[in-house]
Amino acid sequence: MSQDFLFSSYDELPNTWDEMINNQTEIRPQYEAIIHCLKKISKEELSKKEELSKQLFMSQGVTFTVYNDDQGIEKIFPFDIVPRIITASEWDFIEKGIKQRIKVLNLFIKDIYNDQFIIKDGIVPADLIYNCPNYLREMKGVKVPHDIYVHIAGVDLIRNNDGEFYVLEDNLRTPSGVSYMLENREISKRLYPGILPKNNVRSVSNYPNMLYKKLQELSFKSQPNIVLLTPGIYNSAYYEHSTLARLMGIELVEGSDLVVKNHFVYMKTTNGLKQVDVIYRRVDDDFLDPLEFNATSVLGVAGIMSAYRKGNVNIINAPGTGVADDKAIYVYVPKMIKYYLNEEPILKNIETYQLGNPDELKHVAENIKTMVIKKTDGSGGYGMLMGHEASEEEIKDYLATVYRNPSAFIAQPILKLSTAPCYINGKLSPRCIDLRPFALSGKDGVEICPGGLTRVALKKGSLVVNSSQGGGSKDTWVIQD
Amino acid sequence: MLSRAANNLIWIERYMERGNGMLSLLRVNFSANQDSPELFSWSPIIKNYNASETEFYTEDAIECIEYLIFSTENPNSILNLVTKARENARSVQEHLSREIWLCINNYYLYLMQKDLIKKLKTEDPIVFLDDLKKFHLIYIGTMDITQERGPSYYFMNVGRFLERVIQISEFTAMKLIEVAKTSDSLEQSFYWKNLLLSVGGYQFYLKTYKSSFQENHVIQMLFQDQLFPRSMYYCVNKLNRHIKQLIEIQELERNNTEFLLGKLESTIKYTTIESINQQGLNQFILGIKEDIKNISFSINTVYFSHSN
Repeated sequence: MSQDFLFSSYDELPNTWDEMINNQTEIRPQYEAIIHCLKKISKEELSKKEELSKQLFMSQGVTFTVYNDDQGIEKIFPFDIVPRIITASEWDFIEKGIKQRIKVLNLFIKDIYNDQFIIKDGIVPADLIYNCPNYLREMKGVKVPHDIYVHIAGVDLIRNNDGEFYVLEDNLRTPSGVSYMLENREISKRLYPGILPKNNVRSVSNYPNMLYKKLQELSFKSQPNIVLLTPGIYNSAYYEHSTLARLMGIELVEGSDLVVKNHFVYMKTTNGLKQVDVIYRRVDDDFLDPLEFNATSVLGVAGIMSAYRKGNVNIINAPGTGVADDKAIYVYVPKMIKYYLNEEPILKNIETYQLGNPDELKHVAENIKTMVIKKTDGSGGYGMLMGHEASEEEIKDYLATVYRNPSAFIAQPILKLSTAPCYINGKLSPRCIDLRPFALSGKDGVEICPGGLTRVALKKGSLVVNSSQGGGSKDTWVIQD
Repeated sequence: MLSRAANNLIWIERYMERGNGMLSLLRVNFSANQDSPELFSWSPIIKNYNASETEFYTEDAIECIEYLIFSTENPNSILNLVTKARENARSVQEHLSREIWLCINNYYLYLMQKDLIKKLKTEDPIVFLDDLKKFHLIYIGTMDITQERGPSYYFMNVGRFLERVIQISEFTAMKLIEVAKTSDSLEQSFYWKNLLLSVGGYQFYLKTYKSSFQENHVIQMLFQDQLFPRSMYYCVNKLNRHIKQLIEIQELERNNTEFLLGKLESTIKYTTIESINQQGLNQFILGIKEDIKNISFSINTVYFSHSN
């Protein structure tokens, strides 16, 4: 082990897979080049690079605004300058696994909103579907182009201490973070000139073109009018919405820019109304149409669902996909893969206890210190209980909520998220990470951009990588053989 | 183009141009005020630019500059103008050149620096104002060489020249009030000179009329000169051209704006200085202000006519 300052306190977490170091002794080959490069840079220079990355995010406007007492404060999502590296064979595996999964989840959604064979065959219980808050009756029998519901997915993967990748969440609604995948790479290019090509890192910059192609093929017109619907500038992902619109050359619209007439959607232009053919929406189902869902929503467009059902406009992702990334449905994904494809799942699910089942609830309550409990319809790392760090009081309160409606909760054993080196206070330190690759489905199958968003829990020992809870991100390098 | 986007583009320019004009005014008045505070007080400027609900009064130069640049309450402070310009730019990024966005964003980040107020209070205020002004110069240059000539560019120019004609009439009206307070012709000439400096026409005036500041000449230059880029004539002409271009590429319906602009253009072009003097300069400017108000209103309908 080098005596270099960089490694002076690289204390690996016990019983945890580290992405860089193998068996606490040697550096894995995929990390050799970057570590060699980092070692040649002085501590001062590295800290300067860290500062530079912050400035770049600020000056490019890769920020979100936190409003406090009417005063907007610009914030950046913390960025760690050490890239996370994935080998070609690891990526090959991930890619196959996600493709399989997304294919099946699309089949599942189609089935659920149409014939419901999977319910009739007793694979997935009917009440689980009907009790799922993200199941939309409005979608029943709606024909969607190419039978694709999930066009964009951001599947969250983690690597457990066995070195295997597991699916944490499928994120089939409006997954965000792809702009950070793109932006992080731009920063890396400037931090480490020459290193990306030397490492044979696969490019991610084609993502907007891939996405545009997928949106375009949803319309039968040769020049469809495609727009990106955003909730507006106060949304924390607004930067991403404006970036994607800019990079695809499509119009960024808000709900108030659109209007529905005779079941067609139009945008209000300086030259009158112009028909909209495809809407990449970043507005949740609930807010999409005040006539059918949340009546108080000002973010959506009244009548858009009826235009959609008549096939006059395409909405991406289709409404109602949330039924398939619900945490209670997650449990059934391996069975779905078997049912629809007759294949073994490539990517593993995390062992999950459904608390609606009294035996499993009892088991979880008895082993609560080793469990994380989540709401089935929750996201963003909110409303969970991490058994190992919660106080007796917190556990008691949380369990009381669970007992009121156990089927709204699931539990999973606390996982050992793999760690990757992060540059913190002048040294490399291991921090827990996950990985969100972005998968695009179209009529020619599923395509995955080689890379994704690596989120990192910057707090020492923390397992929560969500940006809303102190998480940051890293550039993700997929090495080409 | 989306009506909202067109409206945002117009307003990016209106905010930026307003900030630019205000900085010039502050810079010129700072010098004049240090010479003769009794002639060049701060209150007319504060009155013109204070759009907040609370009154503000100071005759301290630095306090005034601080208020007009940093006040969070005054919608017309540089800080608020740039914040709004940036918010607008952010929401129409797909219509703007990348460079324009970076330029506005950098201006905003510059203003957000914590120690900037301290800089104003402890260092050379002229350098301070010039530093801010530089962002406007870079912005204008960036727009010129990076933004494609198309609807976005035309809408932005509509905003720029509309704001500029408003500025010319406001600056002149402000000075007229001062001029009316004195019968001393030397003092009056100070005011005219000051007005020329504020709109950046001083040098050009000297070249044209030499160093004697006569009301007739100043008014002719500010309102009727064809070569001075901040004359009313020049700006109305540009405004008209960009409106026509928008109509031509069918981004704008042929509406009242064109007619109103034509009317104002001929008023400015064909009114002789004699007839201005006959009706009184005040009356002339009031008339022009009224015309501009109607034009501005008619341009706003670009947005509002389709927003229902």
